[in-house]
Amino acid sequence: MTDNLGFALEGAWKVLFAGLVLGAGLPLLFALGIRSLAWGAGGEAEVHESGVTGPKSQPIGTVVGWVLFAIVLLGIVLGITFIVASGFGKALSFEHIYPTIVDKH
Amino acid sequence: MTESTVILALVVITALGFDFTNGFHDTANAMATSIATNALRPKVAVALSGLLNLVGAFLSVEVALTVTNAVVKIQNSDGTPKESLTAHGGEALLIIVLAGLVGGIIWNLLTWLLGLPSSSSHALFGGLIGASIAGLGWAGVNWNGNGSKLDGVVGKVILPAIMSPVIAGVIAAVGTWLIYKVVTGVAQRFTDNGFRWGQIGSASLVSLAHGTNDAQKTMGVITLALIATGDWTDTKNIPFWVKVSCALAIALGTYLGGWRIIRTLGKGLVEIAPPQGMAAESASAAVILASSHLGFALSTTHVATGSILGSGVGKPGAQVRWRVAGRMISAWLITLPAAAIVGAVMWFIGDLVGGLGGAIVIFALLVAAAVYMYLRSRREPVGHHNVNDEWEDAPAQERVPASAGSAS
Repeated sequence: MTDNLGFALEGAWKVLFAGLVLGAGLPLLFALGIRSLAWGAGGEAEVHESGVTGPKSQPIGTVVGWVLFAIVLLGIVLGITFIVASGFGKALSFEHIYPTIVDKH
Repeated sequence: MTESTVILALVVITALGFDFTNGFHDTANAMATSIATNALRPKVAVALSGLLNLVGAFLSVEVALTVTNAVVKIQNSDGTPKESLTAHGGEALLIIVLAGLVGGIIWNLLTWLLGLPSSSSHALFGGLIGASIAGLGWAGVNWNGNGSKLDGVVGKVILPAIMSPVIAGVIAAVGTWLIYKVVTGVAQRFTDNGFRWGQIGSASLVSLAHGTNDAQKTMGVITLALIATGDWTDTKNIPFWVKVSCALAIALGTYLGGWRIIRTLGKGLVEIAPPQGMAAESASAAVILASSHLGFALSTTHVATGSILGSGVGKPGAQVRWRVAGRMISAWLITLPAAAIVGAVMWFIGDLVGGLGGAIVIFALLVAAAVYMYLRSRREPVGHHNVNDEWEDAPAQERVPASAGSAS
């Protein structure tokens, strides 16, 4: 019982950490992307006083927005690769910083 | 055709039936939020989820043969059945597995009828535990493992069930809170459109992960039964037809959609807006993937529910219906014992009648229970047409604005 509790708590911290990075971090980037897009689009995309025209559009915001979406997309692709790889007895390795697919031990 | 071949056929049919209920019970985990926020039309959502479950099931080629080892002692560690259970064409083992599956299905159908998202893996494990206690005594259950790793009923079922919803809830709450901080000042129509896309992406990931996780449990159970009767000997692989039929069963179940449960999760717990939906599904996907990477078994249902609750807690001013959450949590608590009791009763009935007759009687009881619950569900049907209707708590209080009554 106590052994199991120990193992479970040990695993729980890792899951919580990984989950916060991927499960809350990626949505945060996505939200920042939306924010940049809105800033880039200006006008009706942003909350402003009624009766006046909205803020000017900022093209740089659009670029930053899409860069952020690309990062999020990369994260999702990694997630899918992970599912597929583990299904075929492989694992993702981050030992070269960039992810590579290796045999599972 | 020998007696055990007929029992084997019943076991395979029942296992596929379980896989099917597993599918429609869990559609909600991935798609409830996308349906509730209109990111996807209900029919499109279940079709997408069904398709991804099908793909996911084929991706899980890892051998899942030892799936029962976590909770009961009917297999050796290499996946072969215990010798003591394989006499007479494996009948003893087949009856335990059959009774266990029946326990799991009946509980899944009952909770579906009540619209409660309970865990299909708990139902399956509960049924098997009950049937094993009945057939082999208390020692037939792997309660605690051997202390060298996370194992046994406590380690693989109970602890993850307590921890995973909390972890998922915390992540979803943090995600939701951050998102709403970031997008203040952006027009709501603009954010909603953007987040609907994020929601679809993250929900798809959950569907795919579900297919890989859950379909292989049934594949393992069927293969175990085939080995017990001597129809399959390879413990490293699963017969191709088993893989295909399990994948199809879970995908079809998902496509039919457990609308009752989708309604509870999507509308009952929290009024979900697209940013919350995306935070909830991302948290679910991340927790499921991280856990399976670390070999930390868990129930998709618990994770999804925890995430949705978390997204309600994290949004400033959102309303969480704790009464609905309470009902749900009590359903979780009794899932394992309830399915175990049904599994045990089924085993006793099967044992009393004995042999092939026993198996047929159990199977007939399952069919009768399933038909009865289906007919009950037709009295108040929930389908794609009314899944998103306003949620009404038992007495609808303070819904009528004071002025509305006097105006007309």
